[in-house]
Amino acid sequence: MSAHYHICHECDTLSKISTPDRPGRYKCPNCDAKLYTYKPAMVEKLYAYNLAALFLFIIANYFPFLSFHVAGSSSHANFATSIFYLYQDEQWMMATAILLTTIVIPLSRILLFCILFGSLYYGYLPRYATQMLKLLEKLLPWGMLDVLFLGILVSIVKLVKMGTIIPGTSLWAFMLMVLILAAAQSIYDPHQVWERIGDRKRLERERANV
Amino acid sequence: MRAIERGLTNCPVCHAIVKVPMQGSEEAAYCPRCDSEVYMRKPDAIQKTWAFLLASIVFYIPANILPMMHVITFAGTESDTIMSGVLYFLDTGAYLIAFVIFTASIFVPILKILILIYLLISVQKGSCLHRMRRKKLYILTEIIGRWSMVDVYVVGTMVALVHFGALTEITPGMGANFFLLVVIMTMLSAMSFDPKLIWDNTKECNAKQ
Repeated sequence: MSAHYHICHECDTLSKISTPDRPGRYKCPNCDAKLYTYKPAMVEKLYAYNLAALFLFIIANYFPFLSFHVAGSSSHANFATSIFYLYQDEQWMMATAILLTTIVIPLSRILLFCILFGSLYYGYLPRYATQMLKLLEKLLPWGMLDVLFLGILVSIVKLVKMGTIIPGTSLWAFMLMVLILAAAQSIYDPHQVWERIGDRKRLERERANV
Repeated sequence: MRAIERGLTNCPVCHAIVKVPMQGSEEAAYCPRCDSEVYMRKPDAIQKTWAFLLASIVFYIPANILPMMHVITFAGTESDTIMSGVLYFLDTGAYLIAFVIFTASIFVPILKILILIYLLISVQKGSCLHRMRRKKLYILTEIIGRWSMVDVYVVGTMVALVHFGALTEITPGMGANFFLLVVIMTMLSAMSFDPKLIWDNTKECNAKQ
């Protein structure tokens, strides 16, 4: 591929990149912000990570993640329990926010990644790739599993003084999932996929003109 | 060379380079690659950022005064605010947890609000100073914003685990709702800001020097 122009998202500098296909991290010459990264095995890695995350998500949501024993009575909680009790207490806003940021958005993100990069892995660009990438762009800042992880750790420390806490199967699955999703996030760069979508659009337009 | 001088900008979604018809016009162009609306600068960025920011400042007050959660035991009801939680951990010697909660729920929201006020005022005054530093501060606000949600999740987890009917129960307080609103508003505020505005007076600044 020939030289290629890029506009920095932070400072609007137009820069020419002479070797866009060399693996690595490309930075803005003016303000040093990241333009894009080019990682050779991104598609394969993202497919593998997100498939693993999908299984871990199911495990994490199926089993209780903490059990709490105090004075003879005990309770088990899985991720939906807090949402359920919050709805019961008529805390609609908090319940909805927790439902969206810890279950709905992370799950749709994992599924979208699996579908999109799964098809790319098998050499096929899905028809709705544009819409999927647009949706991902909107969803990514609002998925907060890593923050939830810190929240769970803090509440464990808070509850230790009240009774006995036993971490469940799902807590380990959850920890692993957070790590895997962080790894996936760090290599994700939609640049290559957009490039392919652009090529396909150009081809379609040429075909229509002939 | 800055893209605005050539009448070019990049698509906010797919980063394709797009030619925008008139500089500073409110009219949108459409990205040839992903069909998103493309503007030279995010429309009404400064007004929107101020609006969300002021809302978050207003919500920040009840979030700190009202209790985050109520601990109901047979001995009576105890209410926890954010600050009382931090002080409790300091008293019991759990310094690391006290530090985490203090950072996530007091330091980060205030820092974010102050950074955004600084960015907005400096852009509106057309300041030429510390552009690199301001760019770094903006990236920082985007990264740290979500971590303030920790407190909301702590309340959620405690409510889920401590639910023994009449014996012991934890219920969320109004403070948690306001705190959630603070986090959402500051995130929206940072998202509506356009960092390119920081650099838009480059020519005037270079002329001055």
